[in-house]
Amino acid sequence: MTVEALPRVDPKTALFRKDFAANAADLPGAGLGWLDARRGAALEAFALSGMPTRRIEAWKYTDLAVALENDLEPATPFRAEDAAAIADSAVFAGAMQIVLVNGYLHSIGGAGLTDAIDVVDLAQLSVRTPDWVEKHLGARAAGSDQILGAASLALMRGGIAVRVRAGSVDLPPLQISVVNPARGHGVMSHTRVLLVIEDGASLDLIETHAGEGEAKGLANLGMEIVLGENAVLNHTRLQDEAGGTLHVASIGAFLSRDSRYHVLLGNFGGRLSRVDMNVRLAEIGAEAHIRSIAVLDGERHADVTTVMDHASPHTVSRQLFKSVVGGRSRSVSQGRVTVHKGAVRSDSHQMYKALLLGPRAEADAKPELEIYADDVVCGHGTAIGALDDTALFYLRARGIPMEEARAMLVRAFLEEVIDGFAEGDLRDALWRRIDTALASAQGGAA
Amino acid sequence: MLEIRDLHVTVDGKEILKGLNLSIPAGEVHAVMGPNGSGKSTLSYTLAGREGYDITSGSILYKGEELAALTPDARAAKGFFLALQYPVEIPGVSTMVFLKTALNAQRRARGEDEVDAVKVLRLVREKAKALNITEDMLRRPLNVGFSGGEKKRLEILQMALFEPSLAVLDETDSGLDIDALRLVAEGVNAMRSPARAMLVITHYQRLLDYIVPTRVHVLRAGQIVTSGGPELAKELEKKGYETITGAAA
Repeated sequence: MTVEALPRVDPKTALFRKDFAANAADLPGAGLGWLDARRGAALEAFALSGMPTRRIEAWKYTDLAVALENDLEPATPFRAEDAAAIADSAVFAGAMQIVLVNGYLHSIGGAGLTDAIDVVDLAQLSVRTPDWVEKHLGARAAGSDQILGAASLALMRGGIAVRVRAGSVDLPPLQISVVNPARGHGVMSHTRVLLVIEDGASLDLIETHAGEGEAKGLANLGMEIVLGENAVLNHTRLQDEAGGTLHVASIGAFLSRDSRYHVLLGNFGGRLSRVDMNVRLAEIGAEAHIRSIAVLDGERHADVTTVMDHASPHTVSRQLFKSVVGGRSRSVSQGRVTVHKGAVRSDSHQMYKALLLGPRAEADAKPELEIYADDVVCGHGTAIGALDDTALFYLRARGIPMEEARAMLVRAFLEEVIDGFAEGDLRDALWRRIDTALASAQGGAA
Repeated sequence: MLEIRDLHVTVDGKEILKGLNLSIPAGEVHAVMGPNGSGKSTLSYTLAGREGYDITSGSILYKGEELAALTPDARAAKGFFLALQYPVEIPGVSTMVFLKTALNAQRRARGEDEVDAVKVLRLVREKAKALNITEDMLRRPLNVGFSGGEKKRLEILQMALFEPSLAVLDETDSGLDIDALRLVAEGVNAMRSPARAMLVITHYQRLLDYIVPTRVHVLRAGQIVTSGGPELAKELEKKGYETITGAAA
């Protein structure tokens, strides 16, 4: 394909295309036939729609083209002065830790990796790259349905492919820490993470995103998750980017027979975040639970958009989203569930709730349901509102001061999402992060 | 203990209490009876300091202090308690955690030491037993899935735990069967003391068979129109509000 032959493009779209035109030959794995083909197709998918604006239905509430600066430079790997930012990225007790800096694999630490786990550095792709990487990399989160995911593959500078070998269970949790240290000017990183959990294997994954500096950069991540038969993935995602950052994550998950995927999406930081999650319940008995928490202070925009495909019979999906929105922030929750032809006995439920802490806070929730099969159970609901005055009065009438009563009710609102998902250290860490964000969001709303 | 003088209260711009006078000395239990719409709930919410109940004139003196300037939580810390007609369900907050938080918030506001979890639990269990409140109820989210009777019993448990100087019971009898009513009344009677004043607000005389008041007041159209001894309640029951107050109820 030739980029030059396409019609005139806006400056934001051109930013990515210029990067590709200038650097394609130096991108990792350039010259590998399979990868060149997938990159080319991905760039084409991106170029056809261009940088997302509200004119694209799936981006109706989030105008990335407007938010994006047009003078971003490609992010650079680790430098000595990044050490402090990396040290700030806490390791969960007993976890195996993989650290990515600006999208490049930096180190493997924490408890180290067990033999059950293979890691491939995507900045070092070559003819010796294992078959399982070639088989899966770029198969998901790289098409026209996830436009920025496509860009992350086309412009990939680095990242990791992780495989958990068949039958491996009772492993320590794996923490992937993505750190975006300051570069003094706006940078963009395009990162890929491929995670393959083979048949019968099980993993707890903690994915953290943190950054420093106020530069208006872009952290663009494409993540592919492949679950083999009976595989289990418990995935916690904590997005805590620096205040100027645009965080875009395109996640594509493929679920084989009787596999289970549980994910909690936590969005706290960044100027704008968009988590674009496509889950394909590909085979009989697959089950996916998506939980989402956003606690937004100041002036942030957090968009979680999901596409859930029930492609086989007896598949189950549950989605529970709760946002607490303060200041001038905005939370967006969109979810489309499609029950495909033949996916009988599918069972799906979506619930979106948002709590607005002040008059300038905003929340949008849009569940959609498309059903092409018989004998299914599908439901959805939304509720957006302020704290319940009656409940607030009740707590205060019992002697609990205003701020404490408000905090109690907000925590109670979020409890349902965390309850039954996170335990121990992870649960404590989640609540700590939530409490910090709440203190700030409540203060800003008062 | 409580001295209400010429109290005028508006809700959503509409005047509901129109010059209410009421005085309750320590050690006494008074009842305010009135038909629907007479201003009973407005009186209880105004005393508790709920937002939206605006005092346009008059005063509420509690232990000689003007209540109007105090927030609901400050009133609670000073020993004021309102048992709500409709206790609020709060999912995500366990009943036990709520009780401990509230007790300690009141103590903190009074400059007293907080009570540790074990001691609160012991205290709550002791009071809960008499009210037939189970361990399971205490573990459940506050009032969620509780029956009407369970909710009211939990209100009385809170009153017993906080040991207020002035307790107002707003239609605590509504929605109770006779056994629950007896249990609640016993809980209230056990709290009667020379240092404490109580105000029982009710539509029906029934509750007053079990909690015998010192004085009975009849509220109509935002004013106390007549007062008397416990026999006034019986008379009301027999003759209806219309005859007693000389107007359609």
